[in-house]
Amino acid sequence: MAAGDDPHRLLAHVRHLTRRVRVAQRVTWLPLLVLAVVTLAAIPAHRYGWRSTCVTVADGQICRGRNLALIVYWQVALAVAYAAIAYGYLRAARARGLGGRVMPYVVTGIALNVLVQVVALLVTHEGWGMPEGLERPDGLAMFLTRLIDWGPAIGVALLVLAWLERHLALLLFTAAYLAVLLVPVNFGWGTHWGGDWRFLPPLVIQGGLLLLGGLGFALAQRPWQHR
Amino acid sequence: MSDPLAEPEPAATHPATGLDDVVHQRVRLGILTIAHEARRVEFGFLRTQLGLTGGNLSQHLGVLESAGLIGVEKGYAGRRARTWITLTHAGQAALADEIARLKQLIVRVEAADGR
Repeated sequence: MAAGDDPHRLLAHVRHLTRRVRVAQRVTWLPLLVLAVVTLAAIPAHRYGWRSTCVTVADGQICRGRNLALIVYWQVALAVAYAAIAYGYLRAARARGLGGRVMPYVVTGIALNVLVQVVALLVTHEGWGMPEGLERPDGLAMFLTRLIDWGPAIGVALLVLAWLERHLALLLFTAAYLAVLLVPVNFGWGTHWGGDWRFLPPLVIQGGLLLLGGLGFALAQRPWQHR
Repeated sequence: MSDPLAEPEPAATHPATGLDDVVHQRVRLGILTIAHEARRVEFGFLRTQLGLTGGNLSQHLGVLESAGLIGVEKGYAGRRARTWITLTHAGQAALADEIARLKQLIVRVEAADGR
């Protein structure tokens, strides 16, 4: 066996080339920026889409809000966003002389979007998971409400992308993003201030994180240098 | 009649005996690795990453294509001619086999050094 055929060196060569290809295939900033735009553009649907119906009960009134505009918005916007991400990824990879590995991420994102839509429709139309009387939903119900939402669905799909790209920085970013969304930190919005705009701070934080992440990865990956 | 107590012939089971000469070569192993990881790869990317001349790369691609380990597809992107390389099923199997044998060789060498 020749010196160049040393198994250690050949395996190191294989690992090195594998890493180079994975790095060259990354367009991490694209999904983050697209999803940031989708998140921030949801503000009008959150603010003006609510319709509430109230029924009188023995000890007061129960009002149930429905926001079908929001459900339709996220369904359409995320489907368009994932299609744009798939197109952008494959186009960028092709321009670099490579195939893409983005489709499992896109399929996961769309599947999670459909799951969240189904749950949102069940909650909106059937009152699924909502208490019958005036009592507040319990902690588990509140956690599940936060978990089965568009923001976490975006995050879980990003975990798939981090795995596909073997991208530690994206994994850490996504973990932080999910932690911010799922940990119930509240500075009093909706209770002491905010009123009809109480949805805004968490949405801006969510969209802002994606935007900052997208800009950070764009600076790190310098897509303009690949042209 | 062979001696039943004799050790088995090392060459019969040594992983180096099963190495495929087509794959067990630094450049061709690199081509297969990149094509596997990238799903499909363009000629120019291979040339840059492997630091080869166009003629040299073409020769290695010819060997791999003749062995049925890669598929070569020629096309155009605008006015630029482009050649795309994909791994065949046989190529994927050969790459997996080569990597497995390299790992076995390393284990053997390390075990021998430890004696």
